[in-house]
Amino acid sequence: MSIMHLNFYLAFTLSSLGLAFHRTHLVSALLCLESMMLSLYIALSLWPVETQTTSFTMMPMLMLAFSACEAGTGLAMLVASTRTHGSDHLHTLNLLQC
Amino acid sequence: MTYFVFFLGVCFVLGGLAVASNPSPYYGVVGLVLASVAGCGWLVSLGISFVALVLFMVYLGGMLVVFVYSVALAADPFPEAWGSWDVMGYSFGFVLVLVMGVVIGGFAECWGLGVVTVDSGGVSFVRLDFNGVAMLYSWGVGMFLMAGWGLLLTLFVVLELVRGLSRGAIRAV
Repeated sequence: MSIMHLNFYLAFTLSSLGLAFHRTHLVSALLCLESMMLSLYIALSLWPVETQTTSFTMMPMLMLAFSACEAGTGLAMLVASTRTHGSDHLHTLNLLQC
Repeated sequence: MTYFVFFLGVCFVLGGLAVASNPSPYYGVVGLVLASVAGCGWLVSLGISFVALVLFMVYLGGMLVVFVYSVALAADPFPEAWGSWDVMGYSFGFVLVLVMGVVIGGFAECWGLGVVTVDSGGVSFVRLDFNGVAMLYSWGVGMFLMAGWGLLLTLFVVLELVRGLSRGAIRAV
């Protein structure tokens, strides 16, 4: 595997592991999600450089637009949980707990 | 020059490591800023500077600023730092994942870069990134309009999510 591919592959894997193991705050899970989006953006930008196809350069732009939508929605849920429970700690989201 | 690009790639992975193993969201945001600066420098050194500028302005200057404000809203007044033991445990686990990735990726052939230069020549000059994104407005106009529609829809989604007092989607308070 070339070093370019290994870099964003490792960053994506580390961020998804950080999303799986998020501990106290909801916002640190959202930050790991943003880091996954960043590594996907870099991967999608490197692909038209390697294959020299010009028209695939619009793919990271579209991905960034939809990732902005998703970040905004995640932050809205963070604000909703902070205003309801007083903090964004994950142990306050216990509605389904038996 | 090869080692400079490699150093930027290593900084990108270390920023991702800092986000994944953050003791507190303040340090996670610092890691994300470091990762996006290193990723932007990496894209510039490959020659696609328009894509790097879009990353800087939209991602770092738009989305990450909003994240910093939200972290200032939501994080604790007395955060734990890098020195506490459970954070060290998580960091050690993630460094193990990193080492395993380098070993499986093949440390011997991991040094080949595999990327050619960008600016295409010939009779007419076309920059790969500038003209590729410009095709978003001509050939990709359907996706462009759908992305704009999705962004407009997100505004209304956010409005409904944070509306309170049992008139909105989530809040019962």
